[in-house]
Amino acid sequence: MDLRAQLARRSRDARWVAAALALGLILATLVYALVQRGSELPSALVTNRVLLFALWYANVVLILVILFVLARNLIKLWLERRTGALGARFKTKLVATYIGLSLVPVLALFFFASQLLQGAIDRWFSASLSQVLAQGDAVAHALQDTIESRNWRDAARLAQEIQGQDLADPAGRTAAGRRLTRGREETGADLVALFDGDDFVQAVLDPRSGLADLPEIGRALPREAARSGRAGRVLEPPGARGRLILAAAAPGGRPGGRLVVVVGTLLDPATATRSEELIQAYQTYRQLEIQKGEFKVSYLLMFVLVTLLILLASSWTGLFLARRLMTPIQAFSEAMRRVSSGDLDQRIEVAADAEMSSVVESFNRMTEELSRSRQLIERSNVELTEANRGLAEERALVAAILESLAAGVVALDGQGRVLAVNGAALQMLRLRGSEVAGLPLVELLESGARAELEGLLHGDAPERTASQVSFPVGGTWRTFDVRIQPLPGPDDGPAGRVLVVEDLTELIRAQKLATWTEAARRVAHEIKNPLTPIRLAAERLRERSRQPGADAGELVERSVDVIVREVGNMQHLVDEFSRFARMPGPQLAATDFAPLVADVAGLYRDLKPGVEIAAEVEPGLGELWVDPEQVRRVLINLLDNAVEATEAPGLVSVSVRRAGASVEIAVADTGRGVPPEDRDKIFLPFYSRKGRGSGLGLAIVHRVVSDHDGAIRVEDNAPRGTVFRIHLPARGAPLPETGG
Amino acid sequence: MKAFPALLLAGLLAAPAAADEPAVRELSIALDGVQVLASFRLGDGMTAELRERIESGLPTGFLFELDLLRDRKRWWDESLDSTRIEVVAMFNAVTREYLVNTKLDGKLIDSRTLRDPEELEHVMTRFQAVPVFVLRSPSHRERYLIRVRAELGTGNLLGLVPVMRSTDWLESNKVRFRKP
Repeated sequence: MDLRAQLARRSRDARWVAAALALGLILATLVYALVQRGSELPSALVTNRVLLFALWYANVVLILVILFVLARNLIKLWLERRTGALGARFKTKLVATYIGLSLVPVLALFFFASQLLQGAIDRWFSASLSQVLAQGDAVAHALQDTIESRNWRDAARLAQEIQGQDLADPAGRTAAGRRLTRGREETGADLVALFDGDDFVQAVLDPRSGLADLPEIGRALPREAARSGRAGRVLEPPGARGRLILAAAAPGGRPGGRLVVVVGTLLDPATATRSEELIQAYQTYRQLEIQKGEFKVSYLLMFVLVTLLILLASSWTGLFLARRLMTPIQAFSEAMRRVSSGDLDQRIEVAADAEMSSVVESFNRMTEELSRSRQLIERSNVELTEANRGLAEERALVAAILESLAAGVVALDGQGRVLAVNGAALQMLRLRGSEVAGLPLVELLESGARAELEGLLHGDAPERTASQVSFPVGGTWRTFDVRIQPLPGPDDGPAGRVLVVEDLTELIRAQKLATWTEAARRVAHEIKNPLTPIRLAAERLRERSRQPGADAGELVERSVDVIVREVGNMQHLVDEFSRFARMPGPQLAATDFAPLVADVAGLYRDLKPGVEIAAEVEPGLGELWVDPEQVRRVLINLLDNAVEATEAPGLVSVSVRRAGASVEIAVADTGRGVPPEDRDKIFLPFYSRKGRGSGLGLAIVHRVVSDHDGAIRVEDNAPRGTVFRIHLPARGAPLPETGG
Repeated sequence: MKAFPALLLAGLLAAPAAADEPAVRELSIALDGVQVLASFRLGDGMTAELRERIESGLPTGFLFELDLLRDRKRWWDESLDSTRIEVVAMFNAVTREYLVNTKLDGKLIDSRTLRDPEELEHVMTRFQAVPVFVLRSPSHRERYLIRVRAELGTGNLLGLVPVMRSTDWLESNKVRFRKP
């Protein structure tokens, strides 16, 4: 439920409770006023059965309404408890406590009040009171009866005396009148009247009686007396106080005649009032006695009504207090539930007292902070997601590029563990992708390869290095070009390395094949050159030998000279080739390059006028482990070619310096240079651009450099000429061999 | 033995219709032109409790409800009109007279003072040729009747709940209107 709705409902409840209390108060006041007023009402009205009936039903309706409201509250409470609504148990306990606390005294009060009321009512209608009232009524009636009887006797006697008079005759009437007057005086009655049938004849009043006028006797009285012999009435005399007691009688009290005499006695006001009060009191008593049961029921219902009202007020008070206590807690619970389900905009807006309001404020502040934090997190998450997507895209691009590379790429961390590897590297190094991640690369390779790679990876060179190494892969030796690129770390230090590996095995094999093919072609060519003069000389000898008698001495001698010379050339060629083929491996020794270079350069200094020879060795280069003789031969071959190619004035220079983990030997000239198309061929055996020589000089240079695990390349010199750069590993002294 | 259940059932059915229960009896109607004259009496209506109540001076009486019906043979009778006769007696203990007022639809039609209780019962329970209805659109093809019941005042159910007691309805003879 919405908090605003709850708040509104609570407000409505409070108003409803206040209105109900006010209504109850008004009703109680009205009932009290009615009861008080009832005591002043005429008994005839108060004891009116319809009024009691209405009161009873009003009571019943009120009781039913209260019972309904009470039952509704209790059923609602029971349902809330069954559904496990928050606070239902607390509400139940509070309402039960309130009802329990009020029930015992209210029931006790109800019981004792009922008993008291019944006792009081029974005392009202006690036998003694009834007897007294009945006696009073009897006395009053006896007084009337006595007077009426006396009047009747007098009336009967007078009627008997007048019976002889002819009332149709005026004289008779006069005589009858005189008798009436005398009779009134004799009896002391206040009124004497004569009737002839239904007709009124004459009446005599006592002037001292207080009767101001002749009362209306009516015809019923004399008619009844004529019919039955006697009749009586009690009248209120006109213009006078008291009661007029009349008695009518036929002559002698015998029915059947026409003549009727009525005698009346006026009861004095005091006596009349007292007797009347006695009669009325008894009548009222009888009325109340008849309605005694209804009174009891009505009062009992009133008590039941009050009892139920108190119980209702108790339960309502309990519910009201429970609701007042539970509303903020329910609001908290609801807000907690919403917050836990992700609605951090939830705020509690319940009007609470001082203690609760601080808790409410704290909760609202907390949800506000949570909401703000979540917004920040969501914004960061969006940015992070974007960044991740960008990174993923870049990574996918890099991965695609890496996978498309023919070269193998292996990324290593600072400890040499594999971070990433592309398919080409896996294929080259015979690795399986699922097994390499996080493992040191050197441990994944065969034992023969470890030493080679460890040497490269554990070097101190932070910058890029390139090496050509051979190690066994899958049981066969293969040659790789390995380039190592350091990965920059967060503090500009190396965080790892990237190895770019190219398998040169097939390329080298192809190069070797091509080299040997070219060498074979050149050897064949060189061999074929002397064979032609030899064959020609041999054919000339054969021709001369077939000519009988011809002088063959000079021809033979000349042909044999040709054959011997050409064979000698062939011998020289074979020797050179044999030497090239049999060139021994390098005999490493600690070599100081400074004297070596100076010595070789000194051989060519002043050899060609105008061509200057310069030599420079980096100071502090120290001794390097190389074969000094082979290095000397390399330098001689290179300087020989450089000096020959350089025209005066020119410069040929030799420089040696350290370059990372290697030593660079550069021989530069200012000669005619080497065309780019010839640069791939100049290191092939028997290739010569000079038109003389064996064509094995640069091939020997290449061989020596390769045997030293080095590399040589040829570049253009600036502004002209050629530079041969040789890179040799800057090896220190080898470790002494241990064991066998 | 077999007759016992039947006798018991008959006894139970007969019990509500006990002879001393108040009931409207001897109901008959006659037409005087367009006026419907009703005669009936309330049998056993003047009970000892009622007499005592009257003697105590409480206004006590009966209310007779009368419905004028048009007879229909194969359907419920049609109600044409209704009226009420109210008879209330008040005893004056001083004069020992009963004042009996009779009203028809709230209008006083008779008032008399009585001294004789027997006469009082007669006046309160017997009605002779009282003009109770006027046929507004009389038809000689129709038959008319009235039904009457008496409200006897309040009583107590289980001694606690006040209820209004009344007799059963009693239907009169049927009369046919004839043009004078």
